[in-house]
Amino acid sequence: MSEETDESIKASKEESARVGKIDDPTIAELKEQLENEKNNVKSCEEKLKRSLADFDNLKKRTSIDIETNVNSQVDKLMLKFLTIYDDFIRGKDVLAKQKINVEGLEAIIKNMNALLLEHEVTPIVALGEIFDPTIHEAISVKEDPLLDDGTITNEIRKGYKLSDRILRPSLVEISKKPNTSKEVVDKNG
Amino acid sequence: MAKIMGIDLGTSNSAAAVVLGGKPTIVPAAEGATVGGKAFPSVVAFSKDGDLLVGEPARRQAVTNPTGTVIAFKRKMGSDHIFKLNGKEYKPQQISAFILQKIKKDTEAFVGEKIEKAVITVPAYFDDNQRQATKDAGTVAGLDVVRIINEPTAASLAFGLDRSKEEMKILVFDFGGGTLDVTIMELGGGVFEVMSTSGDTQLGGTDMDNIIMDYILDEFKKKHGTDLSTDKTAMSRIREAAEKAKIELSSIMETDINLPFIYQDQSGPKNLELRLTRAKLEELINPIVEKCRPSVTKALEDAKISPSDINKIVMVGGPTRMPLVKKFLASVIGKESESGVDPMEAVAIGAAIQAGIIAGDVTSDIVLLDVTPLTLGVEVLGGVRESLIQRNTTIPTSKTKVFTTAADNQTAVTIHVVQGERPMAADNVSLGSFNLTGILPAPRGVPQIEVKFDIDANGIINVGATDLATKKEAKITIEASLKLSKDEIEKLKQDAEKFAEEDKKKREEVELKNEAESYIYTVEKLVNQDLKDKITQEQGIKITDAMKELKEVLDKGSTEIKTKLDALKNIVNEISTELYKNVTPTPGANQDAGAGSQSGSTTEQKTSAEKQGTNQNKDQDKKNSN
Repeated sequence: MSEETDESIKASKEESARVGKIDDPTIAELKEQLENEKNNVKSCEEKLKRSLADFDNLKKRTSIDIETNVNSQVDKLMLKFLTIYDDFIRGKDVLAKQKINVEGLEAIIKNMNALLLEHEVTPIVALGEIFDPTIHEAISVKEDPLLDDGTITNEIRKGYKLSDRILRPSLVEISKKPNTSKEVVDKNG
Repeated sequence: MAKIMGIDLGTSNSAAAVVLGGKPTIVPAAEGATVGGKAFPSVVAFSKDGDLLVGEPARRQAVTNPTGTVIAFKRKMGSDHIFKLNGKEYKPQQISAFILQKIKKDTEAFVGEKIEKAVITVPAYFDDNQRQATKDAGTVAGLDVVRIINEPTAASLAFGLDRSKEEMKILVFDFGGGTLDVTIMELGGGVFEVMSTSGDTQLGGTDMDNIIMDYILDEFKKKHGTDLSTDKTAMSRIREAAEKAKIELSSIMETDINLPFIYQDQSGPKNLELRLTRAKLEELINPIVEKCRPSVTKALEDAKISPSDINKIVMVGGPTRMPLVKKFLASVIGKESESGVDPMEAVAIGAAIQAGIIAGDVTSDIVLLDVTPLTLGVEVLGGVRESLIQRNTTIPTSKTKVFTTAADNQTAVTIHVVQGERPMAADNVSLGSFNLTGILPAPRGVPQIEVKFDIDANGIINVGATDLATKKEAKITIEASLKLSKDEIEKLKQDAEKFAEEDKKKREEVELKNEAESYIYTVEKLVNQDLKDKITQEQGIKITDAMKELKEVLDKGSTEIKTKLDALKNIVNEISTELYKNVTPTPGANQDAGAGSQSGSTTEQKTSAEKQGTNQNKDQDKKNSN
């Protein structure tokens, strides 16, 4: 509020006092009130719009969150299942080595594979591939002059994808060409 | 105003959070959740081909590429240290910038808008140089770092300690994967001031995992004489099982570690089976927890205060979820720690809250929305409470439900408003009641009475009832309803839990009684009107007898209601099935349809009558006030 307006309010107040109409607001006061109310409405409208937008965004976010949560629960369940699935295959392999008939167990594994496939769970190819840190996790390196650097030589734990999400990366060992520069040093030494 | 994100730029893991809809939310790492939750490892690497890897992929290749991978670079922030990666040189802030860039990208994808500003947290002991380097890292990553805040301050914000009007001393115990930071702060007038810091850079949760693994290996060796530590497959399985057991034992007292076919020798396959109790786990990790003691003592000494001067304890980091760690700190300080926020997310959440305050997402002039502490409802037929507004509903809110009458020609209903969690109206707190009169006389279940509950922002409840046919209205305003004291609310909630079984039984009994009464009403109507000329005298007597029996047990309130009701239902079903059999379709499409529609309408009437019966059980207003 400018000084001038302050002055005019003061003046009109004095005038009102003289004519004995102290309680009646002056035009300037009313204008000021109106201006305040207008600002108030504007800020309320702004807040309302923001709230509505927030609510709308929240609705969208909620549906995304639900999807994410469902996915994460499915992932957790599948991961637990895969641990047991791995154990089952281990068991079957041991029995097969002992020349015990495992046809029935293989049929069970087939059913489990079908279940995995139905839920878009697919194994990650590792052995013989070139190491890719987005899907594989290396736990050791072995020198091998015959193989390309980063070739996966051993799969310690199979990795799985669910749709395009990595459920768990393959745990692998990879190859590395012997360090030739080191060889030179050794020879010189 | 554009969003500002909060970043916890950690030594071993980093995380980000952003305020969405007024609530701080952790941004999940784009590569998905890992053991570290939604955070991701603070690892940066350059592959042999020069590709930049950040986070989880960088960690996965670390052993294959030690010269191209950097970890724990936070410890070098603000120093002249130079990292050499594949022949190129990088300052610590440049490496940090790679992490920040990834966070920025993940957050933008998560929020769906561009993010240009951030609040980043740093340890309380960081000097100006280190803080400036962190700010520079943000700039390199294309972020305007609007504020650098201390990690313990962020954690305290996450627990809402800044909202307290009182002055207090806070101990923040940040026990991460590889480091321990203890900070003592003083909060007064909304300002956090660091009094002292101490810690151990070589102590953390990883040490605990290793001890558990060693124990498992030892136990297996004792039992089978084989050392599994060189078997990589076995070791990866044991590591996973140890981690899982550690987490489980925070909530349960014992767990089984079961790793079948872990090893095979000439004598056959060997299984690793081990029961781990919480007591054993605590015995194993106690030496590590005890190593935290000197840091806590030192922080107290440096702050020149005694344990009893500490008003609040804030826990940060995964290992602090363990009961032993909580117990340890409670014994040293003599107080329980704050709870309610995931200790692994607290710092990022706090940074997001600070960011939200700056961005105006979290401001004091935002209307604090209240919730209804208890469920609000009305009493319906049989004294059952029918809820309209569930507890914890944010107010202002309103809800309407249509009810009907319980008796033929009922011209008035009483709306009895109750508050509480128990299914029977009488067990809840009565807030008041009023009558709606002048309902047009009609068979039961026909009138439609709309009851509307409306709670305004001040918690004042307006309950109105309208007869939808005559538009007659009646209402009541309840002002003191939400003013129940905290204790009263708690008691009502506890009662609801305590009597849950009993209440369920009571409600089921009433519902069964209502169902029986409603069924009798329907059948009486069928027999006397719709099927009057269609059933034989014998059938009529059979139904009447069964109905009589049901009425008798109903009056006595006997336990046989269900049996008698089922018996009546069977008789009615038998007769109606027979009636359908006797309907001979006459040839001709039109007539066919006619016959069909005739019997169809009977069924429909019956079905709708049954439906009404169910509605009456549920929604009907309590009684005829005539």
